[in-house]
Amino acid sequence: MTEHKESAEPFRVVVFADFVCPYSFLAVDQIDRLAREYDVKPLWRPHWLHPETPPEGTPCARSPDKVERLRAWIKDMAPEHYERVRIPEKRQYSFHAFEALEFAYDRGLDSDFKTALYDLMWTEGRDIGDPETLLIAAERVGINPEELALALYQRTYAERTLAAVKQAHDIGITNTPTIFLGRTRINGWTYYEVLQSVMEQQGVHAREALACN
Amino acid sequence: MQQCYLVDSANAPWKRSSTEGVTFACQVLLSGEDGGPEALRFRFDDCPSVYAHMHLTAQFQLLLNGAMDFPRGVKHLEALAIHYTDHNMPYGPFAVSAGHDMLVLHPKAGGIISMANLEARRQINLGGRLFAGLAADSERRPLPDADHGTFKFLMPPGFGPAAVIVNSPAHAALTMPAPEFGRYEVVLEGSAIIQGREIGPPGFRYVRSDEPVEPIVTGDAGASIAFLSFDKDALEGGITGEGLAAEAAEAMARAI
Repeated sequence: MTEHKESAEPFRVVVFADFVCPYSFLAVDQIDRLAREYDVKPLWRPHWLHPETPPEGTPCARSPDKVERLRAWIKDMAPEHYERVRIPEKRQYSFHAFEALEFAYDRGLDSDFKTALYDLMWTEGRDIGDPETLLIAAERVGINPEELALALYQRTYAERTLAAVKQAHDIGITNTPTIFLGRTRINGWTYYEVLQSVMEQQGVHAREALACN
Repeated sequence: MQQCYLVDSANAPWKRSSTEGVTFACQVLLSGEDGGPEALRFRFDDCPSVYAHMHLTAQFQLLLNGAMDFPRGVKHLEALAIHYTDHNMPYGPFAVSAGHDMLVLHPKAGGIISMANLEARRQINLGGRLFAGLAADSERRPLPDADHGTFKFLMPPGFGPAAVIVNSPAHAALTMPAPEFGRYEVVLEGSAIIQGREIGPPGFRYVRSDEPVEPIVTGDAGASIAFLSFDKDALEGGITGEGLAAEAAEAMARAI
């Protein structure tokens, strides 16, 4: 991992997000790219936007007008996703997905799992409140789905997940994604070039640039 | 340094134009070509997505009519509303509807640059401030040291730049602090006597001075006036004639 030039500690990148947030979905490619280009290991943490949502989900709060505006926003800000994004018709339950992310973390596959699950929800129209969707994501990234199913059934990671949700609340996370790049906190989605600028300002340089020096 | 500009917006010519497929009518109220302030009035046709962009100077947008919807962050603005950004602070995309009518007020020429421009993204003001609020959300208070009249904050006191609406009956002199970094004084209702001229809505005065300036006096029917004061961010940015600034100036010239 990249070492921050001012200390021997690895440069920390932490993303507080919720799978049900479209802006978090749009940040996935950016953060994955950041990990590749800057040799950092981002940590994805849960910020549970809608704890009131039941496991079966609720009808979508977005009116047709809001959906149209969201799609227009995506077309302008992240055009590469415009054609493939599918806006869910209902608000989905994300807590089991957070539990599964903890399970994946313990196996060193949290980054891949997160990307697979966002794709399933936002490009394939799957419901992340349905455990079957979590098992598909697990299988895609090399996690044993039967082990995950058992962990979800036994609620092995429920307490740890709740603690993570509480941590996000305690440090004042209010929107998603909230991205910490070293000392800098970025509230909400932003351009990849901004992430680059923040990295560079803190003395963290892309692999390619380092290779040229 | 003292600057003073008086603008009778109601009698300025309108022009139809478009930028990046977004159509609108526009008044150029102050061009900024003399190094002074730049003020524009836009009436966007209903549009689901006015592209994300930024200006290279601080900006007040005063929404006089209609609505602006930001899918994330700022959310829904309905007239009367304020939207403030520091220089190089991007915003949008946003939807406009319901008879949109807005003043765009800069302390100097700021151009416009689409956020599709990758170089622009690298020049975003990372510490920049953005504020948006509805007049309807703010409580009206009695005007201090006056028998009649009220005021309300459009922006929280202490934010830096300031926006206040003062309502006052006829023939009241509205004394304000020195406009060190520049201030727009916009007539929203009624009329005001400024330097011997009667100005109706949405006419305005722009003043910048280290000393207090001649107060605005409300007309026969009283007036509602928005005082929009810049802070030191007004000194930043601007059109330098090079690189991104040249592009921003050209883009603004094409648009209006």
